[in-house]
Amino acid sequence: MNDSSWSIFVVLAVLLSFILVGLRQKSRESQEYGFGGRYTGRIGGGAAIASNWMSAASLMGLAGIIYLRGYQGLAYVIGWTGGYVLLLVLLASQIRRFGKFTTPEFVGERYGSPAARLMAAVIAIAISVIYCVAQFKGIGLIFAFMFDIGYEQGVTYGALAVVSYLVVSGALGVPRNQQLQYLVICVAFIVPLMWLARKLGYFWLLPQFGYGRALTDLAREFRIDFTLPFAGDSLFEWCALCFTLMVGTGGLPHVLSRFYTVPNVRDARWSVVWGLFFIALIYWSAPAFAVFGRLIEARQGIAFTPDTARAAADVIALKTAMMAGLPGWLVGVLAAGALSAAFFTVAGLLMTGAASISHDLYYSFINPKASETSRMQVAKGGTLVLAALVLLVALNPPGLIAEITAVAFALAGNTIFPLFLLGIWWDRANRYGAIAGMVTGVLCTVATPLLGGVLPGVAFYFPVTASALCGAPLVICVMIAVSLATPAPPEEMRRFLEQEVHGHLD
Amino acid sequence: MSRSEKSKVNLLRPKEGHMRDEVRIILAILFGWGVCTFGFQFLVYACRGTGAGSILTRLTLFNLPLHFWFTGQFLPLWFIILCVIFNIYVDRISEYHSRRRDKSYE
Repeated sequence: MNDSSWSIFVVLAVLLSFILVGLRQKSRESQEYGFGGRYTGRIGGGAAIASNWMSAASLMGLAGIIYLRGYQGLAYVIGWTGGYVLLLVLLASQIRRFGKFTTPEFVGERYGSPAARLMAAVIAIAISVIYCVAQFKGIGLIFAFMFDIGYEQGVTYGALAVVSYLVVSGALGVPRNQQLQYLVICVAFIVPLMWLARKLGYFWLLPQFGYGRALTDLAREFRIDFTLPFAGDSLFEWCALCFTLMVGTGGLPHVLSRFYTVPNVRDARWSVVWGLFFIALIYWSAPAFAVFGRLIEARQGIAFTPDTARAAADVIALKTAMMAGLPGWLVGVLAAGALSAAFFTVAGLLMTGAASISHDLYYSFINPKASETSRMQVAKGGTLVLAALVLLVALNPPGLIAEITAVAFALAGNTIFPLFLLGIWWDRANRYGAIAGMVTGVLCTVATPLLGGVLPGVAFYFPVTASALCGAPLVICVMIAVSLATPAPPEEMRRFLEQEVHGHLD
Repeated sequence: MSRSEKSKVNLLRPKEGHMRDEVRIILAILFGWGVCTFGFQFLVYACRGTGAGSILTRLTLFNLPLHFWFTGQFLPLWFIILCVIFNIYVDRISEYHSRRRDKSYE
């Protein structure tokens, strides 16, 4: 078998085994409830957080952006790990005590306004769609690689595969085993990397440290200084990007709703630590792929021009594995890991997005008398509509995987993060502030594409991928100002915040 | 002062008891988070081309230049450390305050 047919085989085996394991788990759970059940302790909770987080952006985009931009790309590593600190200290236990599962529910309850809830639902769906576009790009690239076809075909087949996977696992009622998912994704990423380091003659047991010598060799043999700080970009750009990704992490709806799957607040907090550790394992490794990729290319005399590098960046991990002559099955494993991460992320986002269309838009606004079956139908149709919309954008992707994902983070950081932050930590924030804040946040996010050419300075202060450094504080100020200028929120909600969310131990 | 003028839940003016202790550790952790993330980048940027800058970029740890190692490998570890400190501290103040609360019912 050649490399690509190996990878088709491995990918099929991995996806099928997830369904089979899920089915076995389901039948066992129904026999003896509790054994091997949902709750698997703090470490298991951490693995679930990490597997919920892992996507094509972490497994493909991160190595790509570092390969392309060196030190500047590290802003993604820091942004996507440091955000969990914000999430843990500012929001995790409080939103759990607040007790609302989804972002629209929280906004609707806290601000007591159907309009704010509707806006939050639309924003959350928009975030999911943007996030999915990046995943679809990753899926499309891997499909194109596996079947040796063009990107457009690859992304179309990939979309069909995701939707059929959703239908099959939905029809069978397969529970997601996130601990297993994390294990598979992590092994599929790190084992090929160890193999690669060994093949190139570097310290392979911990390639996360071993790539240091490759970096030195790259500088010595080819005069490529990968680590030069702020070479092409300014300090402001670095910090803006990093901050945006951090607050975006604290505002991503599918990350925020993770804290409800663990039975108590204390375990929820500790599982964040484990989750962060599991995420960092991957993030310590991603730069190694980038460095090895550059080294092999330089040794084989492949020129690094901006255009070819940009085209290759998102599949650099796979390409490096191929160029280094890794065995075909191992390249397949690498592809399978990235593909399953993208698959499960898309599946989760499309399903929650469709549920939100059905519940927050259709049932709450359009047809409050809708029956259970018609809501179900809307949800199913919604999944297809969202998938089609994502596919349409992904056919002509506007940027690298990491960049597209960063836009979703910017939107989340500009809108949902301030809503939660003030909603939890300032009882005077009211519905008018929330609505004004969301409008401002959306404007900040789309400022550059809309007004970048007209107003000078906009493109500088609100870069497309990094608008939240100026955006989020501005939104917070707007929310505070508008809230203070309008009547206070109901006394009940303020008392609830004071006594339940912050006064549970008084 | 009437309720509508004075808010009782405010990150910058926490009420007595558990919330005040919690806010204290939150601000401390955020300080450590911000200084190491952004402060270090300022330092690297400000030291470019100077003697201190060449120490930052020439000194190596695990064969990685110091600034690259700090940002790419130490910071994620630092975030984990911050979260562990936060959790240990919050566990402790929660225990302290829940014990105090239970006593007050006696």
